Amino acid sequence: MSDYSVIGKRVHNIDGTEKVTGSAKYTFDVVLPNMLYGKVLRSPHPHAKILKIDTRRAKRLVGVKAVVTGKDTLGRKHGIWRRFPELCDEEILCRAKARYIGDAVAAVAAIDEDTAEEALDLIEVEYEPLPAVFDPMDAIKEGAPQIHEGVELNINVNRHIEWGDVDEAFEKCDYIREDKFKCSSQAHVCMETHDAVASFGYNGKLEVWTSTQSSYYIQRLYADMLDMNESDIRVINRHTGGGFGSKFELDSAQFCAAILSQKLCQPVKIVLTREEEFTATKRRTPMYYFLKLGAKKDGTMLAKEVRVITEGGAYTAMGATALYLTGFFSSFPYKYPNYRYDGYRAYTNTAPTSAMRGFGAPQSTFVGESQIDMMAEDLGIDPVEIRRKNGMTPDYEVPGQAFIQSCGLHQCLDKIDEHLKKRGKLPPNHGIGIASYGFMSGGIFNWFNTPYAFSAAVVRINIDGKVDVYTGACDIGQGSNTTLAMICAEELGVRLEDIRVFSGDTGICPPDLGAWGSRQTLMSGNAVKRAAAECKQQLLEFAGAKMGVNIVYDLDIKDRWVHLVDRPERGVSYFDIVKGAIRGKDGNAIMGRGYYTPHRKGMISPAYSFGVQAAEVAVDVETGRYKLLNVTTAHESGTVINPVGIEGQLEGAIMMAGGYGFCEDQPMDDGKILNPSIADYKLIRSLDMPETEILEIDTYEPEGPFGAKEAGEGLTNPTAGAIGNAIYKAVGVRINDLPITPEKVLKALKEKEKQ
Amino acid sequence: MSYHCPVCKKISNKSALDLARHMIGRGDKVHRDWINSKGFKYSELLALQFSSFGGEGFKSLAEVLEKEAKVKD
Amino acid sequence: MKKELKLKVNGQPYELFVKPKTLLVEVLRDLVGLTGTKRGCSSSSCGACTVMLNGMSVKSCSVLALQANGAEVVTVEGLAKGNELSPLQRAFLDHGSYQCGFCTPGMLMSTTALLTENPKPTKLEIKEGIDGNICRCTGYNSIVRAVTAVVKGEYKEAK
Ligand code: FES
Ligand code: FES
Ligand SMILES: [Zn+2]
Repeated sequence: MSDYSVIGKRVHNIDGTEKVTGSAKYTFDVVLPNMLYGKVLRSPHPHAKILKIDTRRAKRLVGVKAVVTGKDTLGRKHGIWRRFPELCDEEILCRAKARYIGDAVAAVAAIDEDTAEEALDLIEVEYEPLPAVFDPMDAIKEGAPQIHEGVELNINVNRHIEWGDVDEAFEKCDYIREDKFKCSSQAHVCMETHDAVASFGYNGKLEVWTSTQSSYYIQRLYADMLDMNESDIRVINRHTGGGFGSKFELDSAQFCAAILSQKLCQPVKIVLTREEEFTATKRRTPMYYFLKLGAKKDGTMLAKEVRVITEGGAYTAMGATALYLTGFFSSFPYKYPNYRYDGYRAYTNTAPTSAMRGFGAPQSTFVGESQIDMMAEDLGIDPVEIRRKNGMTPDYEVPGQAFIQSCGLHQCLDKIDEHLKKRGKLPPNHGIGIASYGFMSGGIFNWFNTPYAFSAAVVRINIDGKVDVYTGACDIGQGSNTTLAMICAEELGVRLEDIRVFSGDTGICPPDLGAWGSRQTLMSGNAVKRAAAECKQQLLEFAGAKMGVNIVYDLDIKDRWVHLVDRPERGVSYFDIVKGAIRGKDGNAIMGRGYYTPHRKGMISPAYSFGVQAAEVAVDVETGRYKLLNVTTAHESGTVINPVGIEGQLEGAIMMAGGYGFCEDQPMDDGKILNPSIADYKLIRSLDMPETEILEIDTYEPEGPFGAKEAGEGLTNPTAGAIGNAIYKAVGVRINDLPITPEKVLKALKEKEKQ
Repeated sequence: MSYHCPVCKKISNKSALDLARHMIGRGDKVHRDWINSKGFKYSELLALQFSSFGGEGFKSLAEVLEKEAKVKD
Repeated sequence: MKKELKLKVNGQPYELFVKPKTLLVEVLRDLVGLTGTKRGCSSSSCGACTVMLNGMSVKSCSVLALQANGAEVVTVEGLAKGNELSPLQRAFLDHGSYQCGFCTPGMLMSTTALLTENPKPTKLEIKEGIDGNICRCTGYNSIVRAVTAVVKGEYKEAK
């Protein structure tokens, strides 16, 4: 196959030794001289007018340095859909009205956390509670409380996607199914809670260390909210303790720390408590799903109609994107000739819902894969077969939406089929369910400031041959710094240990939209590859002259050896060439710039990855309890750059997506989240974790760096659906609302018995 | 035959049903007001989408549009 | 008021003055300055703050500092000998048993304590040993593989 010398090798992450020795420095660990600690006061009401805030007693407490409220802000509203002012609806520090339990109303800076905490109790806020609405179905009713001024029926955004003639196609179907589903919320539960250390200098410039997926977004959102120049704001992201979609909007820790610091010209650190993390940051979007699916007798699916209403919570956040993507991915990974989606997002007086790993696709995959299994059973077709019959293939165009180049779905189906056959007959009350999925490699869309998404990178070769990569990408644990270093090393022909990566620091790194929508490998990767190629070109020009070769392209570099392509033994050490080239440039370092933007590559993404997952469960029919025994995944993500990284992404995704199907939930009572602690929020711990098996499929994505594409996020999509299908196979009950708890299974079993 | 939205530039050359879907889907003030002026309740038509299959809400609006929105080619 | 606290951290003796309500994790991070130990919940349910107290793993967010008076504490910073990583640390590196790394110090301390107590744990015992530690990134299995490799003797102790 390939003769890559770095790509595809099992390596340690470039920050691995820091992480296993406790020396990696997170925002949580940052301490600056003269630093104060901040705390945020939050609304206990789901919907209330703020009549008066009296901060005098709090200010008098010894050790308190500043107290701020909405009055101390410019009163601006922010949103990540920055190009659409009507969707910028979040003040962060509320001035007139609080819209959910947890909305920030004041913040304190004090000499230590205890004092700041004490001061919060001394702030007196006079509220006038307003009627509130919690369910999106109620929010769109006439007479429901209006959450945002001017937004009637609380409809925040709606999305429509359509191709073919759906009505006509349903007429031609032999069989039509209509089903309703409910998808629950989910908390990100990053192990490092949201935090920031903001330091406003007497020079009027702001420096912020923060745990974020996009330093670029945070920098610009700060600029809007504080009315500053972007360049006067430096956002620094070193190590980040997880993101999963929760850390790319300006949050209350970041904003309040900056406002307080601005008042005092002293650094202020705010770390959200775990309870705040559960109640006052964003979460996965709950959705009501209505699906209509029509097929021919032989299982060919002719039409699909999808209607969705999502619980938006109090603000737009990234929820508008989740609404769009759930609609698009409802058609995945199948070739529907006729398709229609209508999605609505309603404001409610609950914690805002937004992006979370999978970004609307785990929901659409759960409902879609459940329904296709039901359809297959009705028609008497094997679940693998019906997926084969309709599954996407390479070079397929989703009509008017997207073009899919590489696609290994069918190979994945074959592998899973083999796996199922190998498992053979299962013991009673055991079942294996499957689910297929597809996902994007970075969004093409960008609602922030430019119409298209983009990534940029700079590569610099120093006189000792060591290479510095500057990228705005953010490593939040997914290992993007390692992946980018591997891409750079491969392109340049050096070793991984020759590369140093500077990332996520807006003061020194070129712009990059950051880590979301699985964009870094493909987009940031392409940018780094091009920057490295530019450096290499400069080296080869020099080497060509020095070695007396006629045509530059006859030379290549591999494993620090600059050589003739046809006669690899004829060559010069890379280090000698670098030294010579830089001397010849009077000491000027060798620099390359790289850029990537997916112009004219459809509307959604330049590339898609695919996979099929099989989940095996054993159900205890007495209690409804079940165990996840094994999750086997056949997936393809183009060329695998970092195999250890992909295994980790896959197993981690199963923990999170399995949790979405199995146990994770955020029950509420009148807008109050009832389980805001790790003790009460159930997630998969090591004893519940199933065995995991990976079946790798080879594909090559022409659009990606060295043929690579998305690998971490799509894997969050299939598990809930596979679990649902497995439960059905095991004991014959179908649960249409997430999570699939033992109580629901037991109830369904009892009902089934009655019949 | 094509159908012209009474309040915006949208033309559907499929059916009145398709146009009804457009009007409910747009859901901005002008579309809502027009729908309400015909004796419907926009919010009810919308809620119907999420509580029942079969598009009954669309159909009743489509009947009105069949009469009012026609543009002959 | 503040009371005297004497303890050893990674072999180094400290004499400090702390309030009765000060937690061990606060002493380690804020007074001793070892920030490798993390906090993910402060309510004894995530394991990010796990350290070894007299050879046993404890959640340092649920131990009052004064309860550790006279004790020997080992934190993640105490695992390597000089610049030689411990077998578990090396195994974690090879098996990709960390991603964001925020749970890693706690995971390393829980598993180090486990192996001190029970050098030949079964797979189930390893899983039980880290059941109090949450990792949102890795899905645990790579951690179990790393510990298994150490149990099998694939990583020699540094001298
Ligand atoms: S911080 Fe101690 S267990 Fe979570
Ligand atoms: S590596 Fe991120 S929480 Fe474990
Ligand atoms: Zn119209």
